Amino acid sequence: MYNLFRFIQKHHFVILFLVLEVLCVWLLTLTQGYHRQKRINTTNDIVGGVYETGTHIGDYFRLGKINHELAEENALLRRQLAATIDTTTGFQEIVNADTVYNFIPARVINSTVNRPNNYILIDKGSADGIEKDMGVVSSNGIVGIVADVSPHYASVMSLLHSYSTISVRFKNDEEQIATLRWQNTNYRYGIVDGIPTHLRPKPGDTIVTSSYSYIFPENLMAGTVVELIKSPDGTLNQAKIKYATDFASLKNVYVIQHTSLDELELLIQNQQMP
Amino acid sequence: MNRTLMNIIRFVALVTAQVLLINHIRLGGYVHPYIYLIFVMLLPLNTPGWQLLLSGFGIGLVIDLFMGTLGMHAGATTLMAFCRPAIIRIVSGSQKLEMNREPNINQVGFPWFLRYTFVMVLVHNFTYFMLEGFSFHLVGQALLRILISVPVSVFLIIVVMYLFSRDKGKMRDKR
Repeated sequence: MYNLFRFIQKHHFVILFLVLEVLCVWLLTLTQGYHRQKRINTTNDIVGGVYETGTHIGDYFRLGKINHELAEENALLRRQLAATIDTTTGFQEIVNADTVYNFIPARVINSTVNRPNNYILIDKGSADGIEKDMGVVSSNGIVGIVADVSPHYASVMSLLHSYSTISVRFKNDEEQIATLRWQNTNYRYGIVDGIPTHLRPKPGDTIVTSSYSYIFPENLMAGTVVELIKSPDGTLNQAKIKYATDFASLKNVYVIQHTSLDELELLIQNQQMP
Repeated sequence: MNRTLMNIIRFVALVTAQVLLINHIRLGGYVHPYIYLIFVMLLPLNTPGWQLLLSGFGIGLVIDLFMGTLGMHAGATTLMAFCRPAIIRIVSGSQKLEMNREPNINQVGFPWFLRYTFVMVLVHNFTYFMLEGFSFHLVGQALLRILISVPVSVFLIIVVMYLFSRDKGKMRDKR
């Protein structure tokens, strides 16, 4: 026993080092894998509070730009409203669109773009009606999906995440569905997979969300095509796209609340039963 | 000023600066400068080994909590703290240092401090980006990130040292 203590005393530096490193690796394994990653995140009120304070300070220096963005969005919404009322779109459709999706405004208080898996922290949480798996959009385009919520904050898995796959389509082709994912290199560009060879997307073509998702409403802007990447074996092509959202300067976002989601999920559950 | 109090203030200031300021630097998405390493680098030369390791682990863990990278920064800073005595020995060569002081840029001179910063940052970044790369199977990209991030971190740390070291020198003279 005495020898053991002598040994520990003599090599305490190395032993403590090994213990701490094993602890780190154990912590690291806790956060690996999709579901675990969702659960253990920076969504706690202390971390959120510090980031929020920092954002408040930074906001004073950006008031002009933020005002300008909001004014532009207002103008856009006014134009859309005028267009909806003027054209032949029926009253019934407007009502339906309003009742299915509710938009909760939120502020980005922290975000990353330079990690293999990026998250965005926003200043609204379960107390404001935000739940896991809700879609998040900015005035420019889609942003991500809520991964984790605490009472007053939520962490959003951005499109810049290795697990992020979004069902999309080309704006000028209603039929064909493809998948949008991130290529893990640059925060401005993503990849659209599964484009059949008969489709010939041109640079500048718009990519929007498809109707095959209950997280995002249909027709939300995702990005524009930069170039078509032909597959070497002549099957499904890919396209490099530029995201509509600038993730590096994201400030105001909206969380999409699907008001009849429970009903929809029940239906899907029943469908899967034998 | 009391040395422990000084270190607590330094800990809080560096974590705040790292999380609220430096983390917003994103030139093309590859640059990750880490200035919070200054905390471990500036511990007095005669700091006991266990204090060195726990300091490294502690600040790494706090940074991890803010960045949602549980274990990565803690692992990298702990290894850096473990290597510190050896790095100081190698970097010093025949140069004699006062053991009860901090290796501050004023005391040890610019060439010594630059070599010291470079090796310490390299050890930290290599470990961190490898941990990140292995977790996400992107080792090639991790190497690119190391190549770009190390010079930026070293530059920022030297700048911070020059910005804040004059006051500390005065404080020491008064003591």
